[in-house]
Amino acid sequence: MSPAVDLWLKSGSFALRSFCLIHIIHSQFYEFTETRGESMLPTLAADNDYVHALKTYRDGKGCQIGDCIVAVKPTDPYQRVCKRITGMPGDVILVDPSAKKGSSLDGSAFDSFIRVPPGHVWVTGDNLSHSLDSRTYNSLPMGLIKGKIVAANDFNKPIWRNGVLLGFRTIDNTYVDEG
Amino acid sequence: MRNISGSVFGTRTVLITMSWIPVMLAINKNVCYVAKIEGTSMRPTLNPDEITHTDWVLLWKWGAKNAANLRHNDVVLFKAPTNPKAVYCKRVKGVQYDTVQTRHPYPRDIASIPRSHIWVEGDNAFHSTDSNNFGPVSTGLVLGKAVAIIWPPTRWSSSLSKSLGREDIRVNHFEL
Repeated sequence: MSPAVDLWLKSGSFALRSFCLIHIIHSQFYEFTETRGESMLPTLAADNDYVHALKTYRDGKGCQIGDCIVAVKPTDPYQRVCKRITGMPGDVILVDPSAKKGSSLDGSAFDSFIRVPPGHVWVTGDNLSHSLDSRTYNSLPMGLIKGKIVAANDFNKPIWRNGVLLGFRTIDNTYVDEG
Repeated sequence: MRNISGSVFGTRTVLITMSWIPVMLAINKNVCYVAKIEGTSMRPTLNPDEITHTDWVLLWKWGAKNAANLRHNDVVLFKAPTNPKAVYCKRVKGVQYDTVQTRHPYPRDIASIPRSHIWVEGDNAFHSTDSNNFGPVSTGLVLGKAVAIIWPPTRWSSSLSKSLGREDIRVNHFEL
């Protein structure tokens, strides 16, 4: 075999193995990725915000009400959405009575209580007035949950300020039990 | 000297072998996989006689989440919507934007399937937990398409494409 071909094969196999290793780490353990969109304001900025996602929470394992999750969009498997869990299986949810006014949709469907089915969660964006979420596509099957967001870096912020690198902050569970 | 070089060679071989494990995992996760079929809901297409053997199928995963690649009568494996730990094997009876006739226990007679969803039913229609129980399934939950039975060898000749469940349940939009 000529040395040139040998070199190509060696680098090709190295590239393939590295790519697959990174892919497995990204899908099974941890991913650092950009988020876009206004639906999670003010928790996450509309652009240039990067999140740390733990993939060990995939399929909703260990997820609780109030957790911020990344999931596959039910109506498009090639898009991912970032939402907050606001209802667990068996919980009774009031969909969104505020959607009644000025909407061409059937208002009574939004002003009703539904029970989240087993194996599903209710997800909403933190920015309720600009979010496409469970209020539109109904409960989200836990199988679509890809991970939990635990922290974020805002690349709009200066590199170093007050001992914080690029606006680093943890994303906490916001659930308050009022019962 | 031979001993030392031998052990170095051994460690090197082990490391090189291990470096291919992620490649294997990535292929099994995204391209193809061999899956064991459990349960009787796809009888007689799959597991016709569960006492003597269970069927193993070749699962094609590449592009299987794309709703455009899923067609009527495909056999798919997907994560159960009602339990993310369970995997169901059913036949596609309706694709996105179709309207299908349901049966008990679905609450309505006719269901419209939203974008990127499929309607699935077992071939053993009356012993099957399927879309009539949990509604249309998002294609994001699809793990892959079963393309062939690969074990046991006596079942190599059997086809997966012949539908044995309910007849075509699609409703023509113009008839409504």
